[in-house]
Amino acid sequence: MLAKQIYKDKTILSNCKLTMTTTPMSTDTSLPPLKIYTIDDPPLITEPESFIEIGKFDATRPIAIDFGSYNIRAGYTGFEFPYFDFPARLTRHRDRKMSKTFTFIGNNTRLDQTVRSQSKTPFDGNIVTNWDYVEDILEYTFHHLGVKPNNGIPNPLVINERLACLQSQRKNWYQMVFETFNLEQVAFGVDSLFAFYANNPTGVADGIIVNCSNEETDVIPVVKGKGILTECKRINWGGRHSAEFLSSILTLKYPYFPSKLSSFQYEYMYHNFCYTAGNYTKEIETLLSLPSLEDQNIVVEVPFTEILHPKKTEEELKRQAEKRKETGKRLQEQAKQRRMEKLVQKTEEYEYFSRVRDSLADQPKKNILSVLQNAGFDDEADFKKYMYNLEKSLKRAQILEADEHDEHDETENKFELVDVPDQELNEEQIKEKRKQRFLKASFDARIKAKEEKARIAKLEEEARIKDQEWRESSLSTWIKDKRGKLGALIKKRKDKLKLRDEMKDRKSQVAQNRMKNLANLAEDSPRQKRSRHQASIDNDPNDTFGANDDDWQVYNDITANPEAFDELLEDEYKEIVELEGKLLEYDPNFTEEDTLDAQYDWRNSVYHLFLRGPRPHDSEDPHQQHQMHLNVERIRVPEILFEPTIGGQDQAGIAELCETIVTKKFDSKPSKISDVALNMCKNVWLTGGNAQIPNMKQRIVNEFTSFLPSGTPIGVHMSENPSLDAWKGMSKFAQSEEAFKEAVITKKEYEEFGSEYIKEHKLGNFKYFEESARL
Amino acid sequence: MSADARLEYLRTIATPNIIDVPSPFKSKKGQLKKKVNRRNKASRQLIADELKRINLILQPPEENEQQQSTATTPSSTTSSSPSTTTTTTITTEYKKLTPKVTYFNINAPPSMKPPKKYCDITGLNGPYTSPTNNIRYHNSEIYQIIVKPMVPGTDQEYLKLRGANFVLK
Repeated sequence: MLAKQIYKDKTILSNCKLTMTTTPMSTDTSLPPLKIYTIDDPPLITEPESFIEIGKFDATRPIAIDFGSYNIRAGYTGFEFPYFDFPARLTRHRDRKMSKTFTFIGNNTRLDQTVRSQSKTPFDGNIVTNWDYVEDILEYTFHHLGVKPNNGIPNPLVINERLACLQSQRKNWYQMVFETFNLEQVAFGVDSLFAFYANNPTGVADGIIVNCSNEETDVIPVVKGKGILTECKRINWGGRHSAEFLSSILTLKYPYFPSKLSSFQYEYMYHNFCYTAGNYTKEIETLLSLPSLEDQNIVVEVPFTEILHPKKTEEELKRQAEKRKETGKRLQEQAKQRRMEKLVQKTEEYEYFSRVRDSLADQPKKNILSVLQNAGFDDEADFKKYMYNLEKSLKRAQILEADEHDEHDETENKFELVDVPDQELNEEQIKEKRKQRFLKASFDARIKAKEEKARIAKLEEEARIKDQEWRESSLSTWIKDKRGKLGALIKKRKDKLKLRDEMKDRKSQVAQNRMKNLANLAEDSPRQKRSRHQASIDNDPNDTFGANDDDWQVYNDITANPEAFDELLEDEYKEIVELEGKLLEYDPNFTEEDTLDAQYDWRNSVYHLFLRGPRPHDSEDPHQQHQMHLNVERIRVPEILFEPTIGGQDQAGIAELCETIVTKKFDSKPSKISDVALNMCKNVWLTGGNAQIPNMKQRIVNEFTSFLPSGTPIGVHMSENPSLDAWKGMSKFAQSEEAFKEAVITKKEYEEFGSEYIKEHKLGNFKYFEESARL
Repeated sequence: MSADARLEYLRTIATPNIIDVPSPFKSKKGQLKKKVNRRNKASRQLIADELKRINLILQPPEENEQQQSTATTPSSTTSSSPSTTTTTTITTEYKKLTPKVTYFNINAPPSMKPPKKYCDITGLNGPYTSPTNNIRYHNSEIYQIIVKPMVPGTDQEYLKLRGANFVLK
């Protein structure tokens, strides 16, 4: 529902863009919007775990528990499905008001947000580390199963063990079932062998089990229904690792993602959007091309609360603009007033000192110096310098004034007082005269500036006409010239960008040369030619620095003044666009695609396609800020099972392990594969929750085809719900009396043989050691 | 849902799951014992313990013997003949054990095939390696945008994905 709403919003948004933006983007918005998946935490469940009525099943019916690290499946044997299937999680929740601690287990942890987020697993990797949790979970399971207790559990039990589990783990399990729960009969077995048994109930089939569980992945050969654990191999990578890997590559891909995702969300993405590549190396070659990305790219969006800015009415906007204008005007006027006052002061000063200069013109030097020193100058030079600067600043101010008055011409100005000698005027008039004189000067300057402008405009017009004539007379040479110019400009721009990049890198050639130059210049005594003639830095004939204009680039420090550099780039860019515009208009061979903008097109950028998918990116759009694109990740993560080195596991992948079993073990040679091995190839079983990643089966078929001689029959199977296989196998196993009897360990046996006792059977673990020949 | 209502809700879920103490599901004997707080060992520790256990069993008898004899030598250096007889009897009784199926020998071996090189950033093929931080990358664009301006912490994050990061010990 929400996703639909968002989808709708997107359409509206992109339609808006269609009308708003111009040129290069307008073609993009014609593309249909992508489907967006909203990724939220999984919803809470509403129904607590149910109970089976106590004593509904009698005490002779065996119970089967598949104690997995992801989910626990439990139920009475003889049914097709386990009665309970809940996550192996537990939360201890302290109720402060009642000062009691409640324990929530399995599905009950999913009823409340806080309880769920605080839930923990008894496992650390594939090993149980918290046995208190296991005890509570088992008690909870028996309680819900409605077992009629009798200082313990009277029913027989089938339970799973890890493949080649640790001695300490087995010891704890024995203690748990025989001592704590007081069970009489327990059969231990390996879950993946049970899973195989569930699908090959005759119990004599050959095959290979590929068990993809949450914590590990195993490849186990089976001969005549018996797991050959001496040849089995374990890859230390499971579904949990994959989900975590996805989480780390996505946080690296989007380092500034605005919200933090929970592990549930990454798990959701892994389960729903990842799939096994049929051939990874081939698929990554084409995955990021536009057409394939169109269906492979998945956009996920994290829910967020959008901040809506209330839209202002037109009237309000108008009023605001007016207000701003007024204050601006006032400030400008104030500034002008101040400038005027300063100018008047300066002109007065200038006049005074010019009179002083005139009066000093034919006086002896001594006199001049004393007068000047009285006025506060060091010497004549200082005075001259002061006058020069004053003159300059006056001129500058006049030009500035001229520019400002450009609009409102005041030709009416009269400067009647200017030519009247001072003696004829009173004090007021003298002041007025000074002002007028200044105004007259600025008026003259204005006229001059205007003339200059007109001249430039005329020149430009002439150039334009000339250009047009040239174009009309011989288009080809015109195009050639313009293209050459454009090429040169683009090259210049590229060089500039490169220079900027290299300047950033302290070790680059450019930066080092620059340092060398600066060091040479800073050196007091250029060592080289000193002996020949006393050359200072000013008259060293060997120092040609500065002769070439480019030398001065040394001081043009890009990193120190990035704004100026950016401006320069911007100007150049404008020039390029202008030239391109002309070429677009008149050169039939110059199309949109040849422009500089098109060459920076996102369509050509692998990085853009990887990061933002097959659409342009708008960083202002809050929806797009909260979106991630899954493309290569979708196959990169499941690929780890076939190449564990991608995930940092220095191990062979599933396919290679299968290949070794089929072509090198069981009397096989790569040249001749034995009958047993050929039988195995016909009966490969995928099991475990992680096998549900789409296309896994096809990939295994592909791999087997690649290492087997052509035409060899291959059969790869997977049940409808491979995560239930193990429990179903247990259930079937307990129903078959003979097999069960063979595997069961009684309490008496445990008491007699101790915790190191292993009863080997078809579906169980082997002993740790075997005795070889006597010495 | 208000905080109180939530608490009430949690209580109603928890109540049917409360089991009397002592629990009828468990052996009486076990529950009479004072519950010792088990210290939970991390899985890495458990695996190390297992390795120790296996190595101890696989130790050749001579070593066991030597350890014993060095422990006893100060008292019985002169009587050499009886000690030799005992060792011979032990060795004849000792059955040489070889590991059959242990947690360690079912670990999949390293791949025999040359590992393929993938871009650390995108997951596409990565024929190039950055000389400064060993990041593999797909093309010059990825290098310009990601690899070149990469800060020292981030490169380790990327390398960690394929277990090629530096680990300080």
